[in-house]
Amino acid sequence: MSSPAISIPHDAGHADGHDDHHGHVHLQYQPGLPLSRGKLIMWLFLSTEIMFFAALLGSYIVLRFGAAIWPKPHHVHLSEPIGAFNTFVLICSSVTVVLALEAAKSNKTGLAKIWMVATFVLGGLFLGVKAYEYQAKFSHGIYPVAPHSRIYERPDLYYGSAVRARLGESAIIERLKEIDEMPAESLSAEQRAARTSLQQIRTMLGDPNQQAFEMAVVADQIAPLPAEGAGGHGGGHAHGINDAFPELQLPIVIPGGNMWASTYFLLTGFHAVHVVVGLIVFAVLLGYTLGPKNAGMIENAGLYWHFVDLVWIFLFPLLYLF
Amino acid sequence: MSDHAAPHDSAGHEEHSHGGLGKYIAVFAALCFLTTMSFFTYSEAWPWRDQPQVGWAFMMAVSCTKAMLVVLFFMHVWWEANWKYVLTIPAAMMALFLVIMLIPDIGMRNRMVSQERALHMARPADLLLLEEAGTAGPAAEAH
Repeated sequence: MSSPAISIPHDAGHADGHDDHHGHVHLQYQPGLPLSRGKLIMWLFLSTEIMFFAALLGSYIVLRFGAAIWPKPHHVHLSEPIGAFNTFVLICSSVTVVLALEAAKSNKTGLAKIWMVATFVLGGLFLGVKAYEYQAKFSHGIYPVAPHSRIYERPDLYYGSAVRARLGESAIIERLKEIDEMPAESLSAEQRAARTSLQQIRTMLGDPNQQAFEMAVVADQIAPLPAEGAGGHGGGHAHGINDAFPELQLPIVIPGGNMWASTYFLLTGFHAVHVVVGLIVFAVLLGYTLGPKNAGMIENAGLYWHFVDLVWIFLFPLLYLF
Repeated sequence: MSDHAAPHDSAGHEEHSHGGLGKYIAVFAALCFLTTMSFFTYSEAWPWRDQPQVGWAFMMAVSCTKAMLVVLFFMHVWWEANWKYVLTIPAAMMALFLVIMLIPDIGMRNRMVSQERALHMARPADLLLLEEAGTAGPAAEAH
């Protein structure tokens, strides 16, 4: 690798006067690939990342289209406008990192630093929005794994017994007593309705001749599936017992919801980890003078960041709009 | 070797000053426009609301276009030498194979299922049941 001569020492030819003979041997250093080693390593890394995210996204697509049923985005409280906003944030951050690189190349170090700070802030904003979205899922009992996840696939008797088991916990029994004894004027209209349906579902669950449809009614009283176009988060969607009395944390039914939660949190989680790594890199870069000398570093960090943007470009429609 | 490689390369890179701010702004505008286009499938005005496949195909086309724009211009691949094909094409093929290999076992896992599994997995009928309960809900409350 190191054997090709960088230049032929001319004094070797001078010794016996064969200057012209050696003169036409122009040996020049040629790197294996016409790019710096840092950039080569970054591209090699990115090609492994292509396969990593392709495997994740591919598994998601195959799981999703092979599933008997898959929840609609509004069933799992996904908000399309928030997803679109986050897409916009990442696109902006890709632009700012490119502008930082251009500024650094033309030796405008101050400007480069401003763009770099803007990139960092936009990346942080993306993570903040993501955290808000995760919180919205958690508050509805949507978690990827069992101890916290309250998702049941079907409104069947297993679901009914899970609700009954939850209502039978001593802390919940205490809380139900308090709710029953609350004066009506201290409750909101929504809470009064939820209190009535709580009493209703307790009698339904106690009935030994329960039928599947009654379990669907129980599930609907606890956490109704929001209608399409209801707008996902917060105020827009239909309210159930879990919304009126969040502390009860009753089991919910989302057909296909468990597989959805696993894939959603895995995909967005790995993407968020990549965003965090990018932010760390940018924070380190901010400690340097962002001039032409360090343009290579900015370029490599930028390549990584654009790739993170690229992944989100596919994640957004696949998760929010499909 | 390293002493010579770095200046040579960075100098070569500086020479062809590709891009310019105008080009980046144009790409940014195109990306924003395309994001709005894929968001458009979610709006009421989208004409194929009853055929989701049309929207999916449209959104994938939009996403691929956006990805191309980011890779070609923001990642400067447009101006790179032929090594770009060495890295990207095999990786893309591997990515495709990874997905295809999953189809028989994972994609088609619900073609034939055991009775045990059929008992516990959600089906479209369950969604209908829940929607029915949703519409019957207020009536049930009145009783």
